[in-house]
Amino acid sequence: MSVVANEIADERPIAVQIQGVDKWFGSFQALRQIDLDVHKGEKIVICGPSGSGKSTLIRCINRLERHDRGTVVVNGIELSDSARAILDVRREVGMVFQQFNLFPHLTILENCMLAPRLALSLSRAKAEALAMRYLARVHVAEQASKYPAQLSGGQQQRVAVARALCMEPRIMLFDEPTSSLDPELIKEVLEVMEELAADGMTMICVTHEMGFARRVADRCAFMDQGQIVEIAAAKPFFEAPRSPRLRAFLAQILH
Amino acid sequence: MTFDLALALHSLPVLMHGLIVTIALAACVLVLGMMISIPMALARTSRHKPIAWAAAAYVLFFRGTPAMILLFFVYFGFGQVFGARDGFLGALFSNAFLCAVIGFALNHSSYVTEIVRGGLQSVPRGLVEAAAALGIEPRDVFLRIRLPLAIRYGLKAYQNDVILLTKATAVVSIITVVDLTGAANAVFYDTYDPFTPLLTAAVFYWVLINAIRVGLSRLDAWLNVHLAADERRDLAIQIRTEGLAPALPAGQLGEAAE
Repeated sequence: MSVVANEIADERPIAVQIQGVDKWFGSFQALRQIDLDVHKGEKIVICGPSGSGKSTLIRCINRLERHDRGTVVVNGIELSDSARAILDVRREVGMVFQQFNLFPHLTILENCMLAPRLALSLSRAKAEALAMRYLARVHVAEQASKYPAQLSGGQQQRVAVARALCMEPRIMLFDEPTSSLDPELIKEVLEVMEELAADGMTMICVTHEMGFARRVADRCAFMDQGQIVEIAAAKPFFEAPRSPRLRAFLAQILH
Repeated sequence: MTFDLALALHSLPVLMHGLIVTIALAACVLVLGMMISIPMALARTSRHKPIAWAAAAYVLFFRGTPAMILLFFVYFGFGQVFGARDGFLGALFSNAFLCAVIGFALNHSSYVTEIVRGGLQSVPRGLVEAAAALGIEPRDVFLRIRLPLAIRYGLKAYQNDVILLTKATAVVSIITVVDLTGAANAVFYDTYDPFTPLLTAAVFYWVLINAIRVGLSRLDAWLNVHLAADERRDLAIQIRTEGLAPALPAGQLGEAAE
């Protein structure tokens, strides 16, 4: 099956290169022949019905899932079974999860300081300064000494963004970051993501927030049954979808 | 049968000595048990099947064996089985206290292995993934995220095991270690009064067990301060961020600084 693609010439260097990636869970094939190049500074939104392989795809970028065939190259580092390569990639790539996944036994500040202290060997003072800077950037600095359970969902998710940013990653992955938030809290998280996008971060977002996709995405990809069915710049993606499956999907969610 | 207060007071030093042996024995078993249980729990959940099976066999065997039989076996049997009558092993297996530590530790660690394993398996997968995604090495993910959370999840079950172990040490006199029960029995044999020394020993046990219970409850509250009601949590956060120094009026603080 050919991918419906609306290629735009992009001169920026490639940040993430995915070629011919297959992934199975037992006998179920989650990803089929995925090809995707993400350029530096590009914002890509991936959408599609549940079970279509969106999360699996971005989890292959930082090796939370191991791909079975094909290649994934992140900032020039090819992902293999090498533990060194995996750590190097993870230090370049930040990730935000649907369930926030803040460490419950650590304060907000400690959550943000942990990885810089352990993975970058920063001093306590430097890690704290770094953490406070990014907490301020996502507007939760005043919560620094609290524990995650004391914060609202939106605040927790913003802390999760700050925690990832403390590693100063060059690429950010978002796996349905607003899907477990109450409607009134979604906005504050999307605003933080848009600020990040405006600063030039390379972002790959799995999300159903179509308004966010229209405002922020350079390209949108539609996945179904483990394949990228259509990929195009945001405007044609929403206004002139070419594949019937994307048309049907958009018709369902844009009501 | 009456309680003889004079005898109780008179036998206090002997019982106190027995109590110290009981505490020393339980403490050694707890430390050795923890040293065995954490690696054993990791082995139990290992991806390498032979390692996982070996650990499962360890738990299956020692959890299913009465502590008393293990004590007999270690004290009377090991020396012969391993032909260790002389040298270091001979000295080890002819020391009743060390044999008691080993016998109880084999039994106790098989229970604690299962507690640690359950705790490790209860740590949400997402937290481990989040730590891994941050580029934290697997060893640090274990030491900073998985193990601290597993300890919190397992502490209440562990508390029960500590108490059961402490009381189970009362059988240790069968291999000649004179613990609290052994000391009480000695008083009984000397005086033909079973009631007074055993009841006094029971009070000692009660105090010891409840001291352990209170200690572990406090540890639990301290570890789980992130789950506590807001007021106590706020105080804990304040202490953590500002140190233990009591809040002084501004004037006094200024003088202290000078």
